Amino acid sequence: MGITTILFWFLSALALLSAIMVLASKNPIHSILWLIAVFFAISGHYILLNAQFLAIVNLIVYAGAIMVLFLFVIMLMNLNSHTEPQKNIWMKLAGVISGGILFTILISVIRSSADMVNRTAQLKEGNIGLINTLGKVLFSDYVIPFEISSVLFLSAMVGAVVIGKKN
Amino acid sequence: MNAIILSAVLGVVMMFSSVFVKNKSALKHIAAAGLLVLLIANIADTYGCSLFKIDLHNMLRFDKFGLFFNTIGIGATLIYVVLSGRDIEKSGNYVAEYFALIFFVLCGLTLLTSFGNLLMLFIGIEILSIPLYILTGSDKRNLKSNEAAIKYFLMGSFSTGIMLMGIALIYGGTGSFQLEVVRSVFASYKGVSFLEIAGLLFLLVAMAFKVSAAPFHFWTPDVYDGAPSVFTSFMATVVKAAAFVAFIRLFDARVTETSAAVDWKMLFSILIISTLLIGNITAVFQQSVKRMLAYSSIAQAGFMLFALFSLNDMAKEGLLLYAAAYSLATIGIFAILIKMKDVSFEGYNGLAKTQPLLAATNTIFLLSLAGIPLTAGFFAKYYMLASVIKTGSYTWLVIFAVLFAAVSAYYYFRVIQAMYFKNGEAQTDTITPGFKAGMVIVAAIIVIVGILPQTILNWFYF
Repeated sequence: MGITTILFWFLSALALLSAIMVLASKNPIHSILWLIAVFFAISGHYILLNAQFLAIVNLIVYAGAIMVLFLFVIMLMNLNSHTEPQKNIWMKLAGVISGGILFTILISVIRSSADMVNRTAQLKEGNIGLINTLGKVLFSDYVIPFEISSVLFLSAMVGAVVIGKKN
Repeated sequence: MNAIILSAVLGVVMMFSSVFVKNKSALKHIAAAGLLVLLIANIADTYGCSLFKIDLHNMLRFDKFGLFFNTIGIGATLIYVVLSGRDIEKSGNYVAEYFALIFFVLCGLTLLTSFGNLLMLFIGIEILSIPLYILTGSDKRNLKSNEAAIKYFLMGSFSTGIMLMGIALIYGGTGSFQLEVVRSVFASYKGVSFLEIAGLLFLLVAMAFKVSAAPFHFWTPDVYDGAPSVFTSFMATVVKAAAFVAFIRLFDARVTETSAAVDWKMLFSILIISTLLIGNITAVFQQSVKRMLAYSSIAQAGFMLFALFSLNDMAKEGLLLYAAAYSLATIGIFAILIKMKDVSFEGYNGLAKTQPLLAATNTIFLLSLAGIPLTAGFFAKYYMLASVIKTGSYTWLVIFAVLFAAVSAYYYFRVIQAMYFKNGEAQTDTITPGFKAGMVIVAAIIVIVGILPQTILNWFYF
């Protein structure tokens, strides 16, 4: 059992545990802090897969920018464990059943795909995740989606102005 | 390619025209002119005259089916802007931005009719959806509009998440985003990992959400009801038809389905049955015409799903015909609905006396939606059902659909009954002669297509 395997299992356990804690904590601020831990664990996985760029972007964008926004919103709205809405038992039950079905499907999918066994990490293997390769691919093979996503951002910006501006 | 680039550029032009054009009513003329240019450019593209030569890397693939559909979508939008442009002006302070967003939606539409890669599908769906979230909430002072927008946004993002998950699973299974790979998954049984099957199921759920097929329809009534009527009209017609074209492009070429790992026909027939059942039965109980139209759009989606069920040439022709017939009729009905002071069934009482021409054209649109012969809607439904019969199995599904078409006649005829046989004073806004002329032209197109469907279909193969 090499160091990468140990790291893989450690990060997986950390990610799962933090994800469960996100749902289990009563205090929304704690939930968010656990969510940041999830992002760190996932970024660790990206590094194990030799995808440094993705790991850094994941940290900067998610753990950095988006989570700070989350914290702001929750602190501004002054949410805490007392203000958590009570759901009725049937709603909870329906949620558990539908979530459980999805979970079972995903488990069976992962179990049945034989090619995923023994493929945990590929440290120093493959250069797909390196920023050099990524830039080249982005401006050659994937240049059309890259350029067209500008229309998406433009429409989102127009929308933000339309919604946000005072009449 | 013409339509994709031009629609994005025209969106930007509309955006800047709010700075330079101070006269609000000039904006709709600019938009209509832009749409006309777009329409001509797209028709030119269909016949091999492309303005842009770009190395596409297989991201986009243009075929006649997609380009013809672009023509229908852009044409329907042009009719929509001509008929309801005045109402778009009234709906808020940011008229130029609304038109810009409509052009961006068209950009999404043109991507969805020609994507060759799952990434482009994703970007297309998002470009189609995000402007709609904003248009839904454009009536900022109306609580219902706000609620509809936030509901649409949350549910829409959730379904986008499911779609991305599906794409990721397919990528995990095959290592590619290309559409051919999806097709090969359909074609083979052995050697396909369950990752790909699960990915396709996720994509099915996400697309069913976008076309509001039951059981993924819950957002539709609230959003269509809460959004300003003038934008509901656009959402329920052009956008929905575009999502259908993307759907059929994605699930096309299920060639050897007898050997496939999933019984797709069974899956689609479950979707169709629940959509027809829920859409039609719930529409019967509505008191507001606007909400009834929302449920009727779910029911019509049930019929359009037949194209995905049978997937032969007839189904594709039928989908084009259906998209055109349904879009035209619904745009017409909504154009009248916007002019009504009261959108409940009672509000239509006695419309035939106060506005005989509007009542007559509205009757033609409603008959077309119900699928009565001599209207375009009849042949649209006929093509859909005939395509199923052509596949040779599942005849009971056709009988089921015909039964529900009969149910749908009930709620469409309720409007006609209110207009002609009930006493009352239907209140409308001022109707201009130009609007009346527009309605007559749209009604005439529906009747002409209804009498001679081959003219429009032959023109497709021209």
